[in-house]
Amino acid sequence: MTAAAAASGQLGSINLGARRRRRIAVVLLVGPALLVVGGALLVPALNLLVQSFMESSGYGQITYHFTFSNYTAALQDPVYRKVAWHSFGLGALAALICVAAGYPAAYFITFRLRRGRNLALFLVVVSLFTSYLVRLYAWYTILGGHGIVNTALIRLGVVSHPLLFLLFSRTAVLIAFVNVFLPYSVLMLTSSMQNIRPDVLENARDLGAGPLRTFSRIVLPLSMTGAIGAFAYTFILTSGDYITPSLLGGTSSTSLANIVSDEFVALGNRPAGAAISFVMLTVFFLVYLGLTRLDRFKGF
Amino acid sequence: MSRPRVSGLFVYTILVFAFLFAPIALVVLFSFNKTAALTFPFHGFSLRWYRAVLNSPLYRDAIVASLRVAVITVVVVVVVGTLAGIGVTRYDFRGRGIVRLFLLFPGALPGLFVGIALLSFFVQTKVTLSLWTVTVGHFVYVLPYFFLVVTSRLQRFDYVLEEAARDLGAGPWATLRRVTLPLIAPSLIAGALVVFSLSWDEVFITFFTIGAQNTLPLVIYSTVKQSVDPSVNAISTLLLAGSLVFVLSVRRLVVDLQQ
Repeated sequence: MTAAAAASGQLGSINLGARRRRRIAVVLLVGPALLVVGGALLVPALNLLVQSFMESSGYGQITYHFTFSNYTAALQDPVYRKVAWHSFGLGALAALICVAAGYPAAYFITFRLRRGRNLALFLVVVSLFTSYLVRLYAWYTILGGHGIVNTALIRLGVVSHPLLFLLFSRTAVLIAFVNVFLPYSVLMLTSSMQNIRPDVLENARDLGAGPLRTFSRIVLPLSMTGAIGAFAYTFILTSGDYITPSLLGGTSSTSLANIVSDEFVALGNRPAGAAISFVMLTVFFLVYLGLTRLDRFKGF
Repeated sequence: MSRPRVSGLFVYTILVFAFLFAPIALVVLFSFNKTAALTFPFHGFSLRWYRAVLNSPLYRDAIVASLRVAVITVVVVVVVGTLAGIGVTRYDFRGRGIVRLFLLFPGALPGLFVGIALLSFFVQTKVTLSLWTVTVGHFVYVLPYFFLVVTSRLQRFDYVLEEAARDLGAGPWATLRRVTLPLIAPSLIAGALVVFSLSWDEVFITFFTIGAQNTLPLVIYSTVKQSVDPSVNAISTLLLAGSLVFVLSVRRLVVDLQQ
């Protein structure tokens, strides 16, 4: 063996050692996270998928016998269907209102504020972090029979008895949804509008475009990513929510998530609940896919 | 010509902020009310609802339980998330993109799905539901947020500093401990505070994974479901204060860094 060959062999083994050390480092660094997310989410999710194809045999009992019946029930049961339309409809409405109501505020924060912009964005973030549950409770007291709205209406002589339909209604759920998710819309819209150069807007104005035309031809298409993100996020989290409908919706607006939750907790039929939840996930995924196609929107 | 439009937008934005903050302001205000009324007129300042809360073993236990879950979640997430963040940004390995996606994806799942997946898994493996099962749920829920904060900080990091340390003879461990960690520490703290607030407020996954011992949001939820009790105003204000103190200190941190 020549000296050169020996040297290159040694070099190779050093490289091999370094590579092995790098591989060990990667495993040690990334391994724990993968292990925990795999064990605490991936495995339970796959388990849920398997269960959705099994038969329920009494409260909390599962017979391991393959069946599609949970899915046919989830897709064909008229009660489920009605509730599904309600849930997805309310979610879509909340998402639409959040995006539409968020636009003027995001526009103002991005293009009209200079020194106040950081403060405004900070306030938006603060409102994101003010407890979801506390805000629901706040609306509960505001809209209730002895709440501020009813007391004010009675004192002003508009009505003589408290309006009991304010609370425990789909309207109450919708108001709370918009209250909770509007800050996300403002934040996402602001961050995508920050990529629009203000001189583009000035040019449009100089070329004779009015405010509406500037908005629909420039601001809207260029901030579409933010609008899609805000709509998808709000739609998924509101139509999959069960806390808000169960606190503010009363019996008038059972949500799909409440049905899933009832199947699991009250009725002990996990396969049925699992199948409905996978149908929901599929709808969310399809809606998201459809929305991303809007990204190529070029204005009216 | 454009003046009135500008002020129109201004008024609108103020109204949006009023809509966002007014409900919460009312809860905080009425938590100091002398009487049990939940509406105006305000009858005078009193701390009686706070005394009621702090004298109630139900609420006290719930505060302790929430703190316990949040602190354990923060500690585990910071360690596991920081390691993963360093691994994904500092090493180029096969499947890196998939690993990143796998760690971020749970953030896009509705709480309902995570909750029922964990519940049926725990039932099937005969794990007794407790604050530990709640902590597992919280971990899965908050890890993506922390991972996002850490990786975005590490990507803005000046690699030259690490190379310089290595050229000067520092091994990988010394480089990590003496150079990388001190530089990303403010982001780790900010991420930890965000994680604390998320866990402190969490109610969706907790609802499914909770055992005999309740966390604070769950106690509020079940109290409101039964009746309107004015002490809920006080406990809600405490819950709010708990999460806001942490977010506000992140703001302080950011300001401190800029100076």
